Amino acid sequence: MMEHLPVLVILLPLCGILLCPLLSWIRASWGKRAVMCGLLGALICAVMQLAQVVQSGEAIHYWMGGWMPPFGIEFVIDGVNGVVVVLVSVISFLTALYSSPFQPHDRQKWFQTAGYYVLVGFLAVGLLGMASTGDAFNLYVFMEITALSGYGLIAIGEEKGPIAAFRYLMTGTIGASMYLLGVGFLYAATGTLNMADLAHRLSGLADSPLVILSAGCLIVGFGIKMALFPLHGWQPAAHSYAHPAADPMIAGIMIKVPAYGMLRFFFCVFRETSPVMQLFFDCIGVMAVCGILFGSLKALRYDTYNKILAYSSIGQVGYIALGFSIGNFYGIVGAVLHILSHACMKTGLFYTSGALKYRYGIHVTDEMGQIYRKMPQTAVTMVVCALSMIGLPPFAGFFSKWYLALGAIENGQYFYVAVLILSSLLSAIYFFRILEKLFMNPETAKEMPVIPTEEMSEESRPLSGGRLELPWQMLIPLAAVALAVVGLGLFNSALVNDVLRAAVEEVFLG
Amino acid sequence: MTEMIDKLEFFLADRGIYMLSFVMLAIGIYGMVVCSNYMKKLMCMNILQVSIIFFFLTFGQKEGGTLPVALAEVLQAEEYINPVPHALMLTAIVVSLGVTGVGLALLMKIRDIYGTIEEDEITGKGGGK
Repeated sequence: MMEHLPVLVILLPLCGILLCPLLSWIRASWGKRAVMCGLLGALICAVMQLAQVVQSGEAIHYWMGGWMPPFGIEFVIDGVNGVVVVLVSVISFLTALYSSPFQPHDRQKWFQTAGYYVLVGFLAVGLLGMASTGDAFNLYVFMEITALSGYGLIAIGEEKGPIAAFRYLMTGTIGASMYLLGVGFLYAATGTLNMADLAHRLSGLADSPLVILSAGCLIVGFGIKMALFPLHGWQPAAHSYAHPAADPMIAGIMIKVPAYGMLRFFFCVFRETSPVMQLFFDCIGVMAVCGILFGSLKALRYDTYNKILAYSSIGQVGYIALGFSIGNFYGIVGAVLHILSHACMKTGLFYTSGALKYRYGIHVTDEMGQIYRKMPQTAVTMVVCALSMIGLPPFAGFFSKWYLALGAIENGQYFYVAVLILSSLLSAIYFFRILEKLFMNPETAKEMPVIPTEEMSEESRPLSGGRLELPWQMLIPLAAVALAVVGLGLFNSALVNDVLRAAVEEVFLG
Repeated sequence: MTEMIDKLEFFLADRGIYMLSFVMLAIGIYGMVVCSNYMKKLMCMNILQVSIIFFFLTFGQKEGGTLPVALAEVLQAEEYINPVPHALMLTAIVVSLGVTGVGLALLMKIRDIYGTIEEDEITGKGGGK
């Protein structure tokens, strides 16, 4: 049992998904419970495997079907992706919980609910697989599973959803194809697809044109998937118009796991430094800096809450790429920590966005006036996440930026430090504008749920005039994410020293 | 002159097929950027995917290689062609089928909402019905 943990993380949600339509057909609420149980199981397994990795101090290697690498597919869990897997499973589970009040109450529409939960489950499975696999082609397959379920969840969102989903499908397919092409070049150069084996066989090939072409293709491929400037074109529309309940997951982790994939490729597979590789890293740095400034400036221009959050994501992904470009210990720790903290913060902010839409149909920041009186819990999460996005201590966002700045100073790249400070000021402007409207604007919001009451599910019925500001399924994720942002901030040194340090030093810089 | 033609012939015979697949890749991306009809964009996306499948299959090929199946007798490894690229591309074909299916479903939905799948008309309407 214990030795099968890495594959159970994928298999348990997969079983839940496959049972979901059948169980929903029998009884409407069983299907979603099956998916949630699967995701909860994945969460428990993920925590157990991370504990195992931290205790033994060694990476877990799981061989699918007992086939030895490089012939079979291998799952590798080390300190870094163990943490990413835990993050993905936590947020997937919370999002599945958060989604249930958004589902139609009508029993005739059981298929809609089942379909929604199947898509959320597949998104989780794809992301978990991408984070745990040690095989380059397997990563492509999981990437496409993620992308396909993401297209579905974006298309069932708001009115412009299908267009946003179609544009994302076009760009996302170019990205995945570029990744596949890059893997093809690597396979042509080495004849293997296992990442550890690739790293071993690529030694001495750093100047080969195949490897250079492949690195270029991989930057484009992962860059599109993680919405790195200037490859972000699909992202603002997709994040703004996606299904409000699934949006936290799409915006929070769907662009972080490809970022982890990029880290894995550029530090585990291409280990040798060569002038061309250095050029690529500088390229990533330029893209990151442009993205940080572009995202922050663009976010200032909008009044729609989701649009502001989407453009701020472009900037925040830039920080992660900046960490890769810095490339020393603190840079990578900063990037990994920013993957974690930004996933929590952005998920939290999109939870509040979904809550505002659910309860009052608010899309624009101008309408948020005095909302904190009616929805204190939502306002607390919003304030915590916003302050963390700006980078105020003791929240998580401060420490990831701190590590990035340390890394940049150690390398003598003071320009990057200046960019970090400038962009923090810019994000302070747009987040304080939101908070100002929240606390200062006159009250305008009317009680007007987006979904008409008769369509809502049983749990959300006592909503108008009920004791709680929101159904409990939505309050728990809101609280959990706010706690996670504070917790990641307060316990960051424990996380860095006990969990990440060994893995980063051994796997990425060894 | 004849020397140059010889060189060109050698290049085409040796690398020409790769060049063709990259020309196809370029046509696919160009079409996806330039065409304003969503259906045409989807077709160009398919061209792009086929070009990558083509590329994988090409480098999996070997002159004089035989099927990687043990028929009458077992030969040396170098006499078989490498089956891995074919197996990978089987998966990639399935993925591209799935993506095309989702794309077509989205196009039906877009046509339901906007009544057209021309990009100019959709953006010109400002996204309204």
